[in-house]
Amino acid sequence: MSDTPTAPDDVMPAAEPDQPAGQAEPTEPTVIETANDGLIDGVNRCAKCGSTEIQLRVSTGMLICLFCRHEWAEEQIDPLISGDGGALSDLSGTTIASGAADITADAGVLTLKCSGCGAEVVVNTAEATSSRCHWCRHVLAVNTQVPNGAVPDAVLPFSITRDQAVEHIRAFAGKRRAFAHRTFVKEFTPGNVVGVYLPYMTVDGNVSADVHGHGEVETRRYTRGSGDNKVTVYDADVYQIGRHVDFTVDDLTLESSSERANMSAFANTNNVINTILPFDTKNAVQWNANYLVGYTSERRDQDVAAMMPALEHQLLSIARSEVQGSVSRYDRGVRWEAERLDVHGTRWVSMYLPVWLYSYYHRDGDEAMVHYIAVNGRNGETMGSVPVSHWRLAAAALATGTVLEAVAIALLAAS
Amino acid sequence: MLEAAVVLAQTSSDSGDLPIFLLLLGPAGAAGVYWGLYRYYRNTDKSHDFERETIVESRPVTGNDQKVDEVHGTRSSSISGANHEDHRERVQRLR
Repeated sequence: MSDTPTAPDDVMPAAEPDQPAGQAEPTEPTVIETANDGLIDGVNRCAKCGSTEIQLRVSTGMLICLFCRHEWAEEQIDPLISGDGGALSDLSGTTIASGAADITADAGVLTLKCSGCGAEVVVNTAEATSSRCHWCRHVLAVNTQVPNGAVPDAVLPFSITRDQAVEHIRAFAGKRRAFAHRTFVKEFTPGNVVGVYLPYMTVDGNVSADVHGHGEVETRRYTRGSGDNKVTVYDADVYQIGRHVDFTVDDLTLESSSERANMSAFANTNNVINTILPFDTKNAVQWNANYLVGYTSERRDQDVAAMMPALEHQLLSIARSEVQGSVSRYDRGVRWEAERLDVHGTRWVSMYLPVWLYSYYHRDGDEAMVHYIAVNGRNGETMGSVPVSHWRLAAAALATGTVLEAVAIALLAAS
Repeated sequence: MLEAAVVLAQTSSDSGDLPIFLLLLGPAGAAGVYWGLYRYYRNTDKSHDFERETIVESRPVTGNDQKVDEVHGTRSSSISGANHEDHRERVQRLR
């Protein structure tokens, strides 16, 4: 191989970046107002008959008035966020939809005045965004974007029914029965599945990344020694490599609940909820608390700034994935040693996404853990964690090991 | 792990260490079965594959490659510390 510096065929020579290097100057973020002005806190009536008995009809994805059967839907959020349809590669600075603004109030309990009868009704927004007036039975909803993270910019309605979710969970656990912990098998009741709207941020980004490292190309492979001391050895050329890539991401989805974002596979099972991403977030609609009637929800408790490290980690990972194809000629592999990320622009939208969740509290000795089986409320993708019976696993391992060892001994005896 | 043990045993047979390494087949197979089943039930290794499942539009990758050294007679079949397939392993961050 020639000593002349070479560049692989599929990589263009490095050029001067056409965007300014370095982090974008910290400036006040641009805010996109997403509040649904047609709704108020309190009584929101059906436009046809005036009833407040409104909820999601899963089969159509529309809101339905349970009194007169009138159906309608809120507007999709994407056109409002994208604005004039400018390319993501033109995105600069930080843009935050108003429902993703920083959390400035801890109070999760709101008091709404019922316009039907004048009573005051309390709503705990940490768990729900609507409540029924205990005097006149009207449904009261929280629709203004209170600064405690309870009301997002958008909601993606469920399109998987409860029965479908139960079947997904039953099938998932059914394949994992033989080595499951016996108490789990005995107490398994998929009918206990709960529909939950979990809080996420969807992020559009316009970024550049650089990675640097070393790669090796094998130039010769041969053997040394003879007989029992024969070994294969290699010669290789070592290259110093640099790569630059500009890219945009569309609707990268991040957990905005600190509890859900804490993924430690041996301490909790939040990773299985993370695995059922992504969702078809382009179909999310403007907020209307009636979409949540009959479901539970979890409040967002993280601001944009707190989520930046998680975003940067994912952007760097995507950058490394994007450049992988350009180092395929290094057949002995590449060791990346340094990386740099320039975030030119980001756009943040808070969203409730639909998840069917079966949870099982399992205590094994001193250790306790909640095991989830989660079903994506839009496409049915299912992932979960089933507590294992260590005795059964050990028995299977011992049986396999014994058979293999017997084969090994037989081979040795034969030789 | 089971496959690794078999490969190890086969590799070892080339260098004449067959008796020692073949006896590891049982323990390695048992550990492989235990760990494989555990992961199938607990899914501890699963997460959102955002590198592939997010809409990413990238401009052509640019870069430079400079030969800086040669290695002769190494017994290792790959570069030490190879991480080109482990996209989530973070390295030194340049600012």
